[in-house]
Amino acid sequence: MLKIQFDTFTLANGLTVILHPDHSSPLVAVDLWYHVGSKDESPGRTGFAHLFEHLMFMGSRNAPYPAFDAIMEAWGGHNNGTTSNDRTNYYEIGPRNLLETFLWLEADRLATLPDVITEEELEKQRKVVLNERRQSYENRPYGRAELAISEAMYPPDHPYHWPTIGSHADVEAATVADVRAFFDRFYRPSNASLVVAGDFEPAAGRALVERYFGWLPRRDPPVRAARPPDPRLHADVEMTLTDRVQLPRLRLAWHAPALFAPDDADLDLAAHVLGGGKSSRLYRALVFEQRIAQDVFAYQGSQILGSLFQAGATAKPGHDLDEIGAAVDAELVRFAAEGPTEEELERARNTHLADFYKGLDYLQTRADLLNHYQHLLGDPDGVGRDLARYAQATRESVRAAFARAMAGKRLALRTVPEPVAA
Amino acid sequence: MIATPDTMATAPVVGPLPTVVPPQATRFALENGLEVVLVPRQVAPIVSAALMIRSGAGIDSPEKAGLASLTAEMLDEGAGARDALGIAEELERLGADLWLGSGRDGSQLSLQAPRETFAEALDIAADVLIRPRLGAEDWERVVSDRRTACAQRRDQPEAVVSVVSDRVLFGDDHPYGRPAEGLERTIDRLTLDDIRGFHAGHWRPNHAFLVVAGDFDETTLRARLDSVFAAWRPAPVPTSPPPPPWPTRPRLVIVDRPGAPQSVVRLVAPGTDRLSVDRSGLAMLNAILGGSFTSRLNFNLREKNGFTYGASSSFAFLHHPGSFAARAAVFAESTAPAVREMLAELAGLRERPATAEEHAKARATLLMRVAEGLSTTGGIAATFGEIGLYDLPLDEPLRFAAALERTTADDLRELAVRYIDPDAASIVIVGDRAAIEPGLRELGLPAAVIYDTDGDRL
Repeated sequence: MLKIQFDTFTLANGLTVILHPDHSSPLVAVDLWYHVGSKDESPGRTGFAHLFEHLMFMGSRNAPYPAFDAIMEAWGGHNNGTTSNDRTNYYEIGPRNLLETFLWLEADRLATLPDVITEEELEKQRKVVLNERRQSYENRPYGRAELAISEAMYPPDHPYHWPTIGSHADVEAATVADVRAFFDRFYRPSNASLVVAGDFEPAAGRALVERYFGWLPRRDPPVRAARPPDPRLHADVEMTLTDRVQLPRLRLAWHAPALFAPDDADLDLAAHVLGGGKSSRLYRALVFEQRIAQDVFAYQGSQILGSLFQAGATAKPGHDLDEIGAAVDAELVRFAAEGPTEEELERARNTHLADFYKGLDYLQTRADLLNHYQHLLGDPDGVGRDLARYAQATRESVRAAFARAMAGKRLALRTVPEPVAA
Repeated sequence: MIATPDTMATAPVVGPLPTVVPPQATRFALENGLEVVLVPRQVAPIVSAALMIRSGAGIDSPEKAGLASLTAEMLDEGAGARDALGIAEELERLGADLWLGSGRDGSQLSLQAPRETFAEALDIAADVLIRPRLGAEDWERVVSDRRTACAQRRDQPEAVVSVVSDRVLFGDDHPYGRPAEGLERTIDRLTLDDIRGFHAGHWRPNHAFLVVAGDFDETTLRARLDSVFAAWRPAPVPTSPPPPPWPTRPRLVIVDRPGAPQSVVRLVAPGTDRLSVDRSGLAMLNAILGGSFTSRLNFNLREKNGFTYGASSSFAFLHHPGSFAARAAVFAESTAPAVREMLAELAGLRERPATAEEHAKARATLLMRVAEGLSTTGGIAATFGEIGLYDLPLDEPLRFAAALERTTADDLRELAVRYIDPDAASIVIVGDRAAIEPGLRELGLPAAVIYDTDGDRL
């Protein structure tokens, strides 16, 4: 069975540490997850986890702005952070001589960020984030649909109702006091896990982690809102948006079981059989045979509080979304009744496993995967458990999982071209 | 406020940069002339291959733009004993990814598969290379999908600014002036015979280079390569006429996108070619100007001014001289100040030459990029694929590292004078014309020339 080798231990202050040595190249990666995402925000304060991620690069007491980036780039290191509904991650990659610097920088911002953050820095990053919103959604084809999906699928008090990027108004309204309160609540060693991967010796790596993170005081993990009830749609929902696009696109969405819950992996396999590539059912029917679609898609978007199963297609010129909808539905109905063939299941399973192997080649992907399992399962050793879910799937388990998901109400979101100005 | 201990008060001392040690590569040629490089790496149980053909969209005539890339795309639409879906199904069963495409200077088949199934996947790749069906019914579907994809490009301001910038910089008669994927009207001129001709003319073992990287047994793999490629026969490859010289260019070009919330800005100017002795120095100069987060462009436009989510620059070092480009997507209302700052940063490379810190940073950044590129099988295949495409020596990564060491601050200053002239750059903007034109006029720029999304002047 495939395994990623690691050692793990917990500091007295509650920080989980995972060491993954790999001497195949002279690089190290530091990957730090905070168990906070946009799901931990409140209505009216959306986009905060992500805005905060930006502020984490605005300097700390002993590494004032712009030292964080300047010091590591001076030696050829680079870094980034990402925020999702469920978690925020920060990572650095660079030559092995930067390992100590990476740990010092991460520890210093965890220790001191709220002491040094200023209104001016918040204002700068507010502008950057609003530009990110325009670049990633508002000025990108079909971007409006991406923002609309979560609002339509989840009720206003559900933490997945708002997008990670937040609303314009909420991002505009954020204050330094909000930033400090958010930091105080979620940025604690006991709410984080740290992976150190790459070209280092475990004993030396452990000593460095203890030196820079060990002194941080212990605080209990944050108290979280109770898990909301599983969301459901009470009736089918039809929505139409206009966007600056050439071709109309239909997007169907259903609620589906959460990441790692029963049916999650089966639905991932079902998505592959339906829309995962050229040999998938939707591609074969709509693109290859009927030639009514330019592209097709199907995927299980797995998240901690519940997933969305989505499928759809973009109409080729001369075809409309009624025709697309009928053709997609025909395939979905047939699949819910018949399930995959043995060959389809084998292809989906092999592709999933091969993609997993391919990801393992990159140091940072391995580091992130260890943190993913730690975050989700409380144990970095999740590869075997994860892959077993796929190995155990059968034709009937995939069919049944899919039929259960399809039995729920659905959103049909149509994006149509904006009328051309006269 | 938390008290930080003394251990936190000062930055750790950083030791010397590790040396970049490229992986061991074995080079040999098959009987048909195909050059092969094998690079072992046993971290993940996978194998990556890149087969490079030394002809790409850069030899498409401007009237038939899209030929090289459509040829590549047609090859796996049925080959040997399998039809298009049969190939797709078998590759998926093997867990293999096969990708075909063309850039400016080359066409490429990439294959990545688990160690256990790589040999079988290689059989399919050989079918695709040597025995493509190139059937009429598949062609009709593929060309229709490509035509639609070209129309969809108009939805994407970043894609539009690339199409228009290339046309502005290289002109109407240079193959680099058209998108590699083609335009609707150039695709309409292509026939299946063109595709068959390009395949027969250029996809030849004596015009190709194969890299295999990853977890394989060398003896078994070499025997397999001998057998699967035995039927691939060499032939003389057609030559192409040299491209025309740089045209005269408009200073300011706008593609109107009414109501756009952002302006996508690109400054373009002539660069140089892949074999130029200036390449390593220009790579350093670019790292300082716009090649990393702390570069001058990003720091000014994003961090200092909040105009954008990110600003960057790059040189495209191609077979023929390529482009220099600086880029940013900015708030529509910040368009004119963003252009002013971008021009100022270009001028700044002459007025404020690279500091010692910038010089060291550029060197370290580029060295570590090489190291990171060589740290995955896919990256190794790409690194050595480029070596093959441009016929470079196998120790090119080390030569590049040595060239970085040799480049002095004086060299960078001299290169800035020769290559980075803000007054010679063309400014191409995809944005809301009515909203941005007045501000641009106030910068003292000449009246904008208006282009459409296909790169045609209106």
